[in-house]
Amino acid sequence: MPTGEVFSERQIHDVERAIAGAQTDTGLAFSVYVGPLGPNTREKALTLHDALGAEASRSVLVAVDPGLRQTEIVTGPDAKRFLDDHAAALGALAMTTQFNAGDLTGGLVNGLRTLGEHARHPQTLHLDQP
Amino acid sequence: MSTAVVSVLASPAFAAQRRYEGDDPGPGLTALETLALFVGIPALVIAVVYVLVFAGSGAKGPRYRPGVAWRGQPQWWGGPADAERAVDSAQPTQSGGGARAHW
Repeated sequence: MPTGEVFSERQIHDVERAIAGAQTDTGLAFSVYVGPLGPNTREKALTLHDALGAEASRSVLVAVDPGLRQTEIVTGPDAKRFLDDHAAALGALAMTTQFNAGDLTGGLVNGLRTLGEHARHPQTLHLDQP
Repeated sequence: MSTAVVSVLASPAFAAQRRYEGDDPGPGLTALETLALFVGIPALVIAVVYVLVFAGSGAKGPRYRPGVAWRGQPQWWGGPADAERAVDSAQPTQSGGGARAHW
């Protein structure tokens, strides 16, 4: 593997756009981390999620360790109301399917799209609609 | 009838032997020219197609290969400005939910 820059400009831009798309779809804050997660991947992912500070509660963190082949999705308490664990698992599945084929960027983009689509949108009751 | 058909079909076979007036078959090819024509040009075409195919994938940037050790720099989209300090001073927040997957 090459050291240093792992994603090309275009790939970085693609993921940025996918994040922006998921954010407009759900109103939640999305954050994507790709890098080593240490021996305890879940703990590290939770720490990264905590590091988002005030935003953490309404944030969804996607943490991917390509070396350990592990994907962790962490949702804050507020974010969980819209993106339940089932939807998060669907997103994780969408990602790992493409990661397995060696396509990190494509997996992230598709996974974020899946997360955005499956996040439960709170029902708004409009009286003028049946 | 059948003799005529056979002779018409077989006429190209006699082309080398028959000489018409004004016929100019030109000088023959040397071994080198034959090689260039029937080996060199196809090889060139193959090379051009090869370059066209693999130049595209090269421009896409380095590719992640499952199972190969990862030594790249961490990349964090939408992370805190000073990631290292933010991680060190992170306060545990209320637990939410999430999912995990291995591939």
